[in-house]
Amino acid sequence: MRRAGLALIPLALGLVGTIVALAAGDRRQIFIQWQLAWVWVQLGLLAALLVFAIVAVRAALRRRAVRSREDAVAAERAERRRFVDRLDHELKNPVTAIRLGLSNLPESDVAAGLDAQALRLTRLLGDLRKLGELENAQLEIAPVDVEALGREVAEAVGELAESSDRSLAVSFPRAPRPLPPVRGDADLLFLAVYNLVANALKFSQPGDRIELRGAEDDGWVTLEVADTGRGIPVEEQGLVWEELARGSHTRDVAGSGLGLPFVRTIVERHGGGVDLRSRLGEGTSVRLRLPV
Amino acid sequence: MSITPPARPRVLLVDDESGIRDALAPFLARSGFDVLTAEDGGAGLEAVERHSPDLVVLDVLMPVLDGREVLRRLRRAGSQLPVILLTQVGESFERAAALEEGADDYLNKPFDPQELVARIRAILRRVTAGQPALGGSTGLSAGALRIDRVARRVWLDGVEATLTPRAFSLLDYLMTHPDEVLTRERLLAAVWGFDQPVASRAVDHRVAELRKVLADDSGTPLFIDTVQGVGYRFLHPVALTPATRA
Repeated sequence: MRRAGLALIPLALGLVGTIVALAAGDRRQIFIQWQLAWVWVQLGLLAALLVFAIVAVRAALRRRAVRSREDAVAAERAERRRFVDRLDHELKNPVTAIRLGLSNLPESDVAAGLDAQALRLTRLLGDLRKLGELENAQLEIAPVDVEALGREVAEAVGELAESSDRSLAVSFPRAPRPLPPVRGDADLLFLAVYNLVANALKFSQPGDRIELRGAEDDGWVTLEVADTGRGIPVEEQGLVWEELARGSHTRDVAGSGLGLPFVRTIVERHGGGVDLRSRLGEGTSVRLRLPV
Repeated sequence: MSITPPARPRVLLVDDESGIRDALAPFLARSGFDVLTAEDGGAGLEAVERHSPDLVVLDVLMPVLDGREVLRRLRRAGSQLPVILLTQVGESFERAAALEEGADDYLNKPFDPQELVARIRAILRRVTAGQPALGGSTGLSAGALRIDRVARRVWLDGVEATLTPRAFSLLDYLMTHPDEVLTRERLLAAVWGFDQPVASRAVDHRVAELRKVLADDSGTPLFIDTVQGVGYRFLHPVALTPATRA
């Protein structure tokens, strides 16, 4: 709105000029003659300016709406983060004291049972702080060969039980050229891609197919992990990126609910983005975009 | 005349939470240590002066004078006193910084009490054998290998070698914990700042890089020994050397 105000300055200056001239007693007149035929062009020009102004204002309003929505989402995430940090912070001393206190007790079934529960709380705290760790971990940036990384992930997931009866196909382009290296932290990017492929294996059935594909697109390298697994209901697709959120259809599969939030945190720390497309019963595809 | 029993190592515990002090002090006492407690950084420094403990367990997050500042003051005064930090959660870079500032080790709250005792013993083993603690050192050497912990540089047979930052941090952690079996998880948490089971291959990659640079054969290692199914151990005896300023 401030910039719109700037547009009024010439008008104000003109007004001041007229007032000064009138006050000085300037009563001279000027006559301008037009051919009537040109009036249509003038009217057209005025109308065009008006339409242009309206379009510009509406586009600006739309941009602002999008930006405030993005700000709201980012603010919500930051707020969540702070809440989790606070929770973690307030719980660590009591849990530490409980574990220490238990270790001072004589050995008994009751003490052992309590200790197991305290250990569970410890693990929960560990999980809660994992995203924070990733957000603060120091990256070691170097050129990363995405294809080699993808093939290493494929080899590593071979150790998972699920990989024995599902097929995993890895494809990277050769023509017109192989993928260019991206600048990033190879250890973290490995974790991100590993999490995606392991997820695809977890949420699929024997006989399902999983594909890990690499592509290059206009300054970005994209890595896509697609599966013919069970898919995610539309209403839960927005939740998958939130920590500890587990969909109603995933209760039968063990997990921390941290896999995808991890992936997103890692990719965003590399200046990239993630998106997910899924159809219930057909399968899921998750795409990572990394700047070259 | 009675023979005095060998002195129990004296451990100073500094934590502002009485719940932690009250529970940890008797546990450490039962584990064979002579335990002193202090409830804030200032009292901790005073207790170091007055009672000269063998080791300090120091909480990072304390009001007024926090654990890191206490550590900094100790090291600035030239003290090599072994320090284990109980670090603030969720801030992994704090841990890396803590190790760089001269802590001998750190543990994340809530920690396993047995683990704390194991770490204390590992550090005191060196001290009681008459060897200096390594956490507060500026330079270390192991045979032909020498590192400057301040400038983060490495020399092998007097020739400077190039390491990636993470490989250096890994070598630094291995050398400051010689002869200890270090699990991949512990190395990940200390050097990488995140601790995910599938990331353990990252440790193997970096160890391979170190071995290549140090010309260390994994079959008959001089420096880094693989402990099958567990992790790694720095074999060579480590000595203090003054850091070389370029």
